[in-house]
Amino acid sequence: MEKPFLEGIRVIALTHAAAGPLMGAMLADFGAEVIKVESNSRLDELRKYPLLSKGQQGPNGPVFNCVNYGVKSCTINLKQPRGLALLKELIKISDALIDNFSPRGLAQLGIDYPMLQAIKSDIIWVSISGFGTVGPEKDYVAYAPTADAIGGLSASFGYPGGEPAQSYIYVGDPVAAMYGIVALASTLRYRNKTGKGQFVDLALTEGVSTLIPESFMEYVMTGRSRSRMGNRDETMAPHGCYPCQGEDKWVAIAVGNEREWEALCQVMGQVELAQDERFSDQYARWKNQEELDRIVAGWTRGYTHYEVMHRLQSVGVAAAPSLNLKEFIEDPHVHAQGIIMQQDHPEAGRTLILRPPWALSAPRTPAPLLGQHNDYVLKELLGLSDEAVAQLSEEKVVY
Amino acid sequence: MFFNLLDGVKVVEYGEFVTAPFCARILADLGVEVIKIEDPGRGDPSRRREPFLDDIPGDNRSGMFLYANMNKLGITLNLKTATGKQILAELLRSADAFVENQLPRKAEELGISYHDIREGHPGIVVTSITPFGQTGPYKDYKGGELIPAHMGGIGYTSTMDSNVSQEPIKLPGQVLGFQAGLWAAGVTAMALYRQSVNEQGEHIDVSEYHTAAFNIGSKLPWYVLEGVIPSRTNRAAVAPFHIVPCKDGHVIIAFMQNAQWKGLLQVMGNPEWGDNELFGDPRSRGEYWDALRPLLVEWTMQQGTEEIYHSCQKNHVPVGAVQTAEGALSSQQRAARGFFVDVEHPETGTLRYPGLPYSFSGAPSETPRPAPLLGQHNEEVFCGRLGYSKRDLARLRQANII
Repeated sequence: MEKPFLEGIRVIALTHAAAGPLMGAMLADFGAEVIKVESNSRLDELRKYPLLSKGQQGPNGPVFNCVNYGVKSCTINLKQPRGLALLKELIKISDALIDNFSPRGLAQLGIDYPMLQAIKSDIIWVSISGFGTVGPEKDYVAYAPTADAIGGLSASFGYPGGEPAQSYIYVGDPVAAMYGIVALASTLRYRNKTGKGQFVDLALTEGVSTLIPESFMEYVMTGRSRSRMGNRDETMAPHGCYPCQGEDKWVAIAVGNEREWEALCQVMGQVELAQDERFSDQYARWKNQEELDRIVAGWTRGYTHYEVMHRLQSVGVAAAPSLNLKEFIEDPHVHAQGIIMQQDHPEAGRTLILRPPWALSAPRTPAPLLGQHNDYVLKELLGLSDEAVAQLSEEKVVY
Repeated sequence: MFFNLLDGVKVVEYGEFVTAPFCARILADLGVEVIKIEDPGRGDPSRRREPFLDDIPGDNRSGMFLYANMNKLGITLNLKTATGKQILAELLRSADAFVENQLPRKAEELGISYHDIREGHPGIVVTSITPFGQTGPYKDYKGGELIPAHMGGIGYTSTMDSNVSQEPIKLPGQVLGFQAGLWAAGVTAMALYRQSVNEQGEHIDVSEYHTAAFNIGSKLPWYVLEGVIPSRTNRAAVAPFHIVPCKDGHVIIAFMQNAQWKGLLQVMGNPEWGDNELFGDPRSRGEYWDALRPLLVEWTMQQGTEEIYHSCQKNHVPVGAVQTAEGALSSQQRAARGFFVDVEHPETGTLRYPGLPYSFSGAPSETPRPAPLLGQHNEEVFCGRLGYSKRDLARLRQANII
């Protein structure tokens, strides 16, 4: 039986909202023990975030459960000096600290790298912030949607000739978490080799920028601002999303070379189209793609989006239905890969979660209730007595 | 490289376009020695992807190729030939990981599936990035950027304020491809860490559509608990942020907490309509957005992006600039962080590139190296490390092995 990647590694998580928790959950998935230190004095906003219509409240908001699975929870009030002292005790017996609070906010609590190094000289601290800990904008606030905009993604996103657009999906948080993963794996190896720890200064907005290099390279290389292209490609055509049978059903088709173009024409039953001089080479196809898109749409309208995918993929043409979440959950391939999993949460009940794109090596536990692991952390790990913990709770240090 | 954290780690990459090359680059940035294999003569097809320097195509002028392949050694090798496969095996003997992005069926045909490689190299990490993964009914279906965007459910929710007569659209550029490469780099780095502890290998199966869908994971509760299917036409299930135009571009404004809202009104000079109770709390500001928007836009159209962004943020209002490439490249914040880097290329000269989103306090930093010319390091690798003579190299070249 292979061991999980991070067996024996303990991480303290000062996290809230999405980026930090996602990183914590991924680390738990990789086998680390992740202890989320939180407090009623400053509750993770997602714990309270209800769904819109039902206005559900409670210690575990549904979105909280999605991004905080697998981790343990211990309540320590860091605004109290004795709370900070407890955190220091935890750092002493841990390998890493991760956070996505504002650097200024943590510094105000007395948490900075020199302080951590003094407790544990080889501590690794991965700090996720909107803009990093240096620079004129370091104290600015970024949320996921604004991070996508500031990172430069939104400017080139949208329909051709349209305004910069927004999706409901923001990549900033998962991307920051993923860079955090790279950083932690690399710094752990470095620490084992050299005995040295690290302060890793990771900026959410910059993470976004690394995913759209074409925008920057186009400007650097040609002086042009990249235009918004919808589903279109710089050179390939057909390359778009076409209407299918049913309400709001679409299929994505991308033709990459002449062979695929001929195959598409054959499947569409319009073999002569392949030699039509409007479309017979890639440049002509790209130039006349509006007309071409109309012709392809005329064909796709007669089929379901799945039919088009299977028919085209079977002749080596890239195609996929534009799935909504319900269809995604019910898709046979998704099902075969076990991507959607059921999870039973002690308070929230049965729900579905989308497992991260990596096979599980250890069973995943549901998101913790607030302070669920106080006994384990305070009594077992830190060796505090029952009386001591009771006292600290009364003083709102364990709170 | 940028920071030498992973000195001594060796990775061989056989990648095309975005996913596998970017995965390998992220590791190369942190000190891994990456040997990139390209097909002789043609090389990585992304060499022929625009943007090109001065709009002049050339194998060393592609922005995408130069960006995604920085910090690597480059060799040519024809994996379709017996000798090519043998040379690969020799290279893998001293490699800790192999990264590739062939469709599973093609990897098997080439003899570079995990099953093939593991036989000769039991402790190696193999990272395979594919459109649909290594298992399941669609595993050999073709991908590209458009496919995971729509298969993974992202297209259906893009864009906000769209309608059913407009097609769902993908994210710009190759965002999802780069994200899949990033995810692969993270898991590979984790596997390399474990390998350094107990010498275990791994097959890392990264699927692009799954990585894309992962961005939507937090929307599942809406469906499970309320039966709401997130869609670009369903404004209800959305976070309250909107892009509005301004004098020279756009900004993004949130229906924020009341304290922040008051801060915004303050920056706007406290207009009279600010007291309107229709705009009194975050929820109603969202509900009456259609009434609020024109009032905001009247103001924003008189200000520049930078003006609005900085004056709001300084007043603790979390507005964002819809940053263009030009804006980001001239940003003082990016400059202070050293985010953009100048790298000199032997043929294309010095260009500015997006760099790393993270810095490391305790690791030696280095000057990043440019993407390799096609076969640039053939001699260094084949002769210097594998013991082939220059004469051998000439023969291999003539036989189209390299």
